[in-house]
Amino acid sequence: MTTVPEHGYTRQVKVKPNYETIAWQWMRYSAVLLIPLVWFHVLLQDVIVGVHRIDLDYVQLRWATLGWRVYDVLLLGFTFAHGMNGLRQVLNDYIHNEKPRRVVAWVLLLGWAVITAIGGIAIIAGVRK
Amino acid sequence: MSAFKTTLTGYARYRGREGQISFLLHRITGLGVLLFLTIHILDTATVYFFPSLYAHAIDIYRTTLFGVGEMGLIFCVIFHGVNGLRIAFADWFPNMKLWRITTERKSVLFTLAISVVLWLPTVGVMGFNILKHNYGLFGG
Repeated sequence: MTTVPEHGYTRQVKVKPNYETIAWQWMRYSAVLLIPLVWFHVLLQDVIVGVHRIDLDYVQLRWATLGWRVYDVLLLGFTFAHGMNGLRQVLNDYIHNEKPRRVVAWVLLLGWAVITAIGGIAIIAGVRK
Repeated sequence: MSAFKTTLTGYARYRGREGQISFLLHRITGLGVLLFLTIHILDTATVYFFPSLYAHAIDIYRTTLFGVGEMGLIFCVIFHGVNGLRIAFADWFPNMKLWRITTERKSVLFTLAISVVLWLPTVGVMGFNILKHNYGLFGG
């Protein structure tokens, strides 16, 4: 950890990384990845193509290319995990006891796993007609 | 619940100016995007689980009300990204002293300006699409 006091010098402090440190670092790593991934997805689907031209055939055509499926799996994996962990961080600002925090964390983890599985199955199995 | 009330009144009363506004916007835009994302994963998953429902979901997306909401969503996505970059930059380059209060105030306003500039063209295109497809303008 680096701290910069007002008088200018830098001090290195060794802190053993715990679970929250790693979660925090992954928030930042995923954020850097999400900027190109999400912005391009929104630009393409909402602005360039537009919702009026999107239907089952469009999704089928898009997922006929393996690269787009990989892209969508990455989107699903990184955005939703970033969002759910973000929600956990926000809720921890308002919940101050260890026990309810743990309950919230487990509920969010479960919700994340179920919805990610639903989305993941759809991307892998593809459009059913 | 009282902690939540204290938080809300604290947000309203505390005068942290640009830094506080930026914190609140980051939080609200993040939660907003997460809400939409949850719905979006589930409605897209209907292409496999209930394909006949997908057209119905898309019909809702095509309404004017949802379209305007989507413009707001795009602002959330842009602002959350640009502001996240600002925060990461301030951490990565401590020599630039971006966490100093005067520099921070300027960089928050700069972040808002960039977000609006990136957002306006998308509003133009999406607004054009809504007017074209929902109101028959521009030969739609």
